[in-house]
Amino acid sequence: MTLLALFALTAPLFLERGALNDLWNLAFAVILASAWNLLGGFAGQVSLGYSAFLGIGAYTTVLLSLQNVDPFLTLPLGALLAAIFSVVIGLPAFRLRGPYFTIATIGVGEAVRVWASTVEFTGGSSGLRMPAESFHFNANYFAMIGLAVVTVAIAAWVKRSAFGIALDAIKQDIDAAEAVGINSTRFKLGAHALSAALVAIAGGLYAINFQYISPASVFDFRLSLSIVLMPIIGGLGTIAGPIFGALIVSTLQIKLLAIPALRDSFLFVYGGLLIVVMLFEPQGFVGVGRRLGRLAHVR
Amino acid sequence: MLTSVILNTLLAAGLYAAMAYGLAIIYGVMRIINLAHAGLMMLGAYVAFALFSRFALDPFVGLVVVAPLFFLIGVVLYVAIGKRIAGVGSTPSIESLLVLFGVWLVMQNLAYVIWTGDTQSILTGYTMKSIEVFGVRLGIPSVLVFAASALSLVVLNVILKRTYLGKAIRAVTQNRDAALLSGVNADRISAIAFGLGSAFAGIAGAMLATLMAFTPDFGRSFLLKAFCIIVLGGMESVTGVAVGALVLAALENGLAAYTSVSTSLQDAVSFALLFIALVAFPQGLPGLFARFERRTAAR
Repeated sequence: MTLLALFALTAPLFLERGALNDLWNLAFAVILASAWNLLGGFAGQVSLGYSAFLGIGAYTTVLLSLQNVDPFLTLPLGALLAAIFSVVIGLPAFRLRGPYFTIATIGVGEAVRVWASTVEFTGGSSGLRMPAESFHFNANYFAMIGLAVVTVAIAAWVKRSAFGIALDAIKQDIDAAEAVGINSTRFKLGAHALSAALVAIAGGLYAINFQYISPASVFDFRLSLSIVLMPIIGGLGTIAGPIFGALIVSTLQIKLLAIPALRDSFLFVYGGLLIVVMLFEPQGFVGVGRRLGRLAHVR
Repeated sequence: MLTSVILNTLLAAGLYAAMAYGLAIIYGVMRIINLAHAGLMMLGAYVAFALFSRFALDPFVGLVVVAPLFFLIGVVLYVAIGKRIAGVGSTPSIESLLVLFGVWLVMQNLAYVIWTGDTQSILTGYTMKSIEVFGVRLGIPSVLVFAASALSLVVLNVILKRTYLGKAIRAVTQNRDAALLSGVNADRISAIAFGLGSAFAGIAGAMLATLMAFTPDFGRSFLLKAFCIIVLGGMESVTGVAVGALVLAALENGLAAYTSVSTSLQDAVSFALLFIALVAFPQGLPGLFARFERRTAAR
């Protein structure tokens, strides 16, 4: 993991722009997957509404940059707004359990998207453009890689801390967790806010890099979908799982789906992976790895 | 004004009830939240379109083909996937939700491959015609849709109330173990319920296709509306579904007629209602009434 981070940080010295772009995409995917995993994997609360947080981060950055604020200074504010929104949504929504929570988050995500494409300040369906002079690929690259490292570090820390143990207890049996004195709502809210903030910062960086956003791009349901898919394919609730998942999904997107004949089949790939993983190995690739490890051990 | 709102509410409620019932019956019998419902609705629309454009079959006559076809698709889905993911106990599992989500994505991609992503619509001789009822002009397609929905719901109700099969379905819905003990083949009933639910999804999709244009992406907002209805209706009763459909339709038509909420924002309203319904009265409106009755009885 450390080697991967070191490689990514020194890559601008010897890699060309195209490869760096791929690494940028990978880092973006790692952030989304690992951050989502804090709530979805550690605490078992599967949310399909994360595009809302990405969109909040992206719009905060664009709207403030248009008022001549330095784009990078807008990132913490986007994170704060997303965290507040996550609490506002989470307070009522965390009364729901399992699939009901998931359905509610689809509702929230879609309501936000529809609302954002009708109001004026988001640029409506035509979207908004960043101020032209705000684009610096290198700064953005290092920020994204750095954020990916920080996100994975936070996930690793959470998993070991008392906070992470409480989340795990909630995932295994919420009633039992409550019975031993864990305030489940407070812990879920904490994990939700933390992951929302991280996703929002990534959203801000996304806006700076692509220079143009619209409700259809940053509040897209497919975005929420791929955010969920990565940790599931990789392995829910683990540290390495979301990274694997991000690697697989972003490679699929960049390499496989760039082939014209396969461009229209990404839903087949996503849906098929989801079905296969959920039916045969709910632990994802990490689970497959563990099985192989056990096999090797037996011999 | 008021007559027009009432009539339009009734017409919409008929369609909504047919759309939501498929979801409710599968939930009732198997404790599965069938996200593939959206995909089935979308395929229903395309099958009606194919029958209309290839064989010049009127979409309403086409329902005779669509209903058995989707019943079969549902049974196949059950055997291939549904069987493995049936919920245990009273709460549906998150795995089943995600697997069916995968099925929905695969269906979407199938539609993209077969019919491309172009917007399609079914234009019959009467699509633009309307009739006058109580001084209100109503589109002929919406009247026909209402009639077909009402007819299919009546047929379903007769099946549920009068036949052995219907009794068995209701028995499994109320208590699966008790039904098993009294000799009901719950596996076969589940297969039939999945078939019935899918048939209703197909019918609803085919009817929606006569009212509006559609793409392979079509179905998501109607899925959320269907959820909203069954949550309002308390998840499993026929009457509950009807009440939920009426409430949602009345809210939408009322908002459109008496407020300046733009039509594009209407969807956001029903998604928000879904969220509120899930959180505020998880037992649905029947549960809410029961609570009020208890409160007044206590005095």
